[in-house]
Amino acid sequence: MSEPENAKVKRRDLIRKGALATGLLGVGGTAALLATRAGKDRYVWQLDPEKCIQCGNCATKCVLRPSAVKVVHAFALCGYCDLCFGYFPPHFEPDSAIEEPAAESQLCPTQAINRKWVEGPHFEYTIDEDLCIGCGKCVKGCGNFGNGSLFLQTRHNRCVNCNECAIAIACPAQAWRRVPAGHPYLLKGEDRQT
Amino acid sequence: MATPAERQKSNQLGPEFQYDLTELRKVDPGLVHYEQSARVATGMQEPRGIAVAADGRVLVAGDTLVRAFDGAGKAVAEFVAPRPPQAIAVGPGGTIFVAAKDRVETFDAAGKRLAAWEPLGEKAYLTSIAAGEKDVFAADAGGRCVLRYDPSGRVVTRIAGKVDEKGAGGFLIPSPYFDVALGPDAALWIVNPGMRRVECYTYDGQFERAWGKASPRIEGFCGCCNPVHIALMADGSLVTSEKGLARVKVYRPSGMLASVVAPPSAFAEGTAGLDLAVDAAGRILVLDPRERAVRMFVRKKA
Repeated sequence: MSEPENAKVKRRDLIRKGALATGLLGVGGTAALLATRAGKDRYVWQLDPEKCIQCGNCATKCVLRPSAVKVVHAFALCGYCDLCFGYFPPHFEPDSAIEEPAAESQLCPTQAINRKWVEGPHFEYTIDEDLCIGCGKCVKGCGNFGNGSLFLQTRHNRCVNCNECAIAIACPAQAWRRVPAGHPYLLKGEDRQT
Repeated sequence: MATPAERQKSNQLGPEFQYDLTELRKVDPGLVHYEQSARVATGMQEPRGIAVAADGRVLVAGDTLVRAFDGAGKAVAEFVAPRPPQAIAVGPGGTIFVAAKDRVETFDAAGKRLAAWEPLGEKAYLTSIAAGEKDVFAADAGGRCVLRYDPSGRVVTRIAGKVDEKGAGGFLIPSPYFDVALGPDAALWIVNPGMRRVECYTYDGQFERAWGKASPRIEGFCGCCNPVHIALMADGSLVTSEKGLARVKVYRPSGMLASVVAPPSAFAEGTAGLDLAVDAAGRILVLDPRERAVRMFVRKKA
């Protein structure tokens, strides 16, 4: 393989690792804060992405508006696809695979997913948590067609940790559980701890 | 468990928040030229690969074994695979080639282990294997290449796909599906899933042609990365399977859609990884991992 190809791979890996590290810094920071604030033996609510069926209740049953549940992205699982079906609606048909789509071509009703070209036919997808309401529509698309790298988590910088979580009560998949405040996220892929 | 309708009602979200594939799952019945004729339970938890031997036996690889069925679907033999098999192929001489994650292992027709070829390293992730008279081809999704082996297990060529003058291109493999199959006239067919097309190469890796279009329509390949598996028919037509919108179709060698074998409605939602084989009678064998079964499709009588 020629030198430019090697350089491309390294750059993509660097971006992937950098993005992952950035995401983990946020999660880790929240975990440390929670552990301090809540004490070591305290527990918080979290959604198990392996059980989640994206029913939509996370968007509407939370006591907060918008919900404390947001989509997060496991970059290590992502294919960085040009045609991401967590981003595009399933009926989307490109004229050109790397055209920049109009807002109405996006799957997310609140346009909470940002798409940024990386290189070649590869794109990076990030979540604007201020716009995300946790409906899980993109999670369905990604799980159906892609690697399932998008998934829902309650963000503990927003969650008020109700004694009885209203979403957990409404969840038809029994996907919610209490987790130690020091490890408040149930991640996917290589980042998953429990 | 609540039904989808109950969930939709209870979540109080508007229609723009619903994810619905109902329309896309519909296929013109006039295009469906095949029907299921038989279903054979594999008895495996995770069946992963299927192949047909020259003697007509259907071989299924999965879990940690290979199980052989006769043409009627009766299990007639099985043998243990030392490493979890990812894919399987049978050479014209009867040698069975099993691809584990990082190496190819060979067995005789009775299941006696013959050899384990050199491991390919930590990054290797073999997903498919095809065997010809004197050549064996293994698709390595981790290495983004197809390896051409000689009969002794020596790597002769690494085929990295069609790369342009700027070094761009090659095989795009966003998810762990990367298939290879051999056609008549020494045609080597390789799926380029991230480009939603199949590509034809010579055995020494020279690109010849490609076809395929990203589209949710029945003639295209839907989603980020499809098709996931291919198989060749005797006349050179290609059978393809897709994930996301699970469907099995037959294309002429030119890339023109010829038939739908099984529309999305034939599969449970979420079905992925439908490996394919074609037997001497022209039956299309679909390994359905959700049903853990081989589903046999025959052409409908006119």
